[in-house]
Amino acid sequence: MADLVGVFAASHAPLVARDWDNFSPSVREGLAVGYDKVGARLKAAAPDVILEIATDHWVNFFLDNLPSVCIGIGAENDGPPEPFMRRVYPYPTLIGHAGLGRHLAETALADDFEPAVSHRLTLDHGFCIPLWRAGLTPPPPIVPVLVNEIEPPMLSVRRCLEWGRLIARAIDTYPENIRVAILASGGLSHSIGEPSMGAIEVEFDEESIRLFDAGAEQPMIDYFEAKLPGAGNGGHEVRSWFIAHAAAGSRGFELLDYRPVPEVYVGCGFASWRME
Amino acid sequence: MATDYWLSKLMYDLQDPALRAAYRADRATVLAKYKLDDAVLRALETHDIAVLAPRVNAYLLRFYYQYSEVKDPEFIAGLRALPKDYLNG
Repeated sequence: MADLVGVFAASHAPLVARDWDNFSPSVREGLAVGYDKVGARLKAAAPDVILEIATDHWVNFFLDNLPSVCIGIGAENDGPPEPFMRRVYPYPTLIGHAGLGRHLAETALADDFEPAVSHRLTLDHGFCIPLWRAGLTPPPPIVPVLVNEIEPPMLSVRRCLEWGRLIARAIDTYPENIRVAILASGGLSHSIGEPSMGAIEVEFDEESIRLFDAGAEQPMIDYFEAKLPGAGNGGHEVRSWFIAHAAAGSRGFELLDYRPVPEVYVGCGFASWRME
Repeated sequence: MATDYWLSKLMYDLQDPALRAAYRADRATVLAKYKLDDAVLRALETHDIAVLAPRVNAYLLRFYYQYSEVKDPEFIAGLRALPKDYLNG
């Protein structure tokens, strides 16, 4: 049986990569706090595989083919295509874990979920910034789970939580003796290409953190279904966090760092979920 | 306002550096491959955000203005000048 050895979250603003060397030392040091803590926890967990959940930023999918969830079941995936990522991220390919990816897809289908699958995905900044800044260089094999968090219609909060439980079951029933960590990439509030671009909804972020810490699902469902539309289009990435939350058993989490960072337009959050 | 598939497709396809180079060199030839109406074609000439923004995903809009080398402060100022109901056109 595989073991779930840790569940984490980290933000992934593109400007973290694009402008890293141009930030003031205080901005760099501030951003590094969360990434360093997530990196230390991940390394301590010593995962053989990271199951990473993130949205696709119009790299793999377009309006002609836009799955709500796509599981990477290939032995290898392509690294980030964005020029600003290629400058800083040294891996043109990332190793996958075909066995766990396929088992997750099969478990999903057996449980009446209908994900898309891909034998080769391109993992954009959403996947690679947390791996890079957390110091997972090179990263262990990745099972990418792409969740549509960019173009409506999107998964409900409740369905994200169900996906989290499904992922936990799939890890628990995977027959190989491996250590698996989950990394949810994205969030918290931010707005891209909208009139509110640059605004960070600190009140939303703080209430989100309080709810994730408290753990109970129904208050989360009630709050986020009502408030997500006001958290900027980037706020929808908190869906990755819902999935992680339920995968960890909805017991609450430890906030590793939160800070609104106007230089990257994002309320940057970093967390480690309680497992027991 | 309904999503404009072909305008979205243009903005999506322009992620390809080769197409971006072609677009800069001969915009008309590239645009001829997309089913764009006259209002959109005029808006692309002038980066008229009031016409473009309601028709596409906001991330694709962001990409387009980045390719067009419009700096963020100017882009954000344009976004903030949009009417509150711009999505309903």
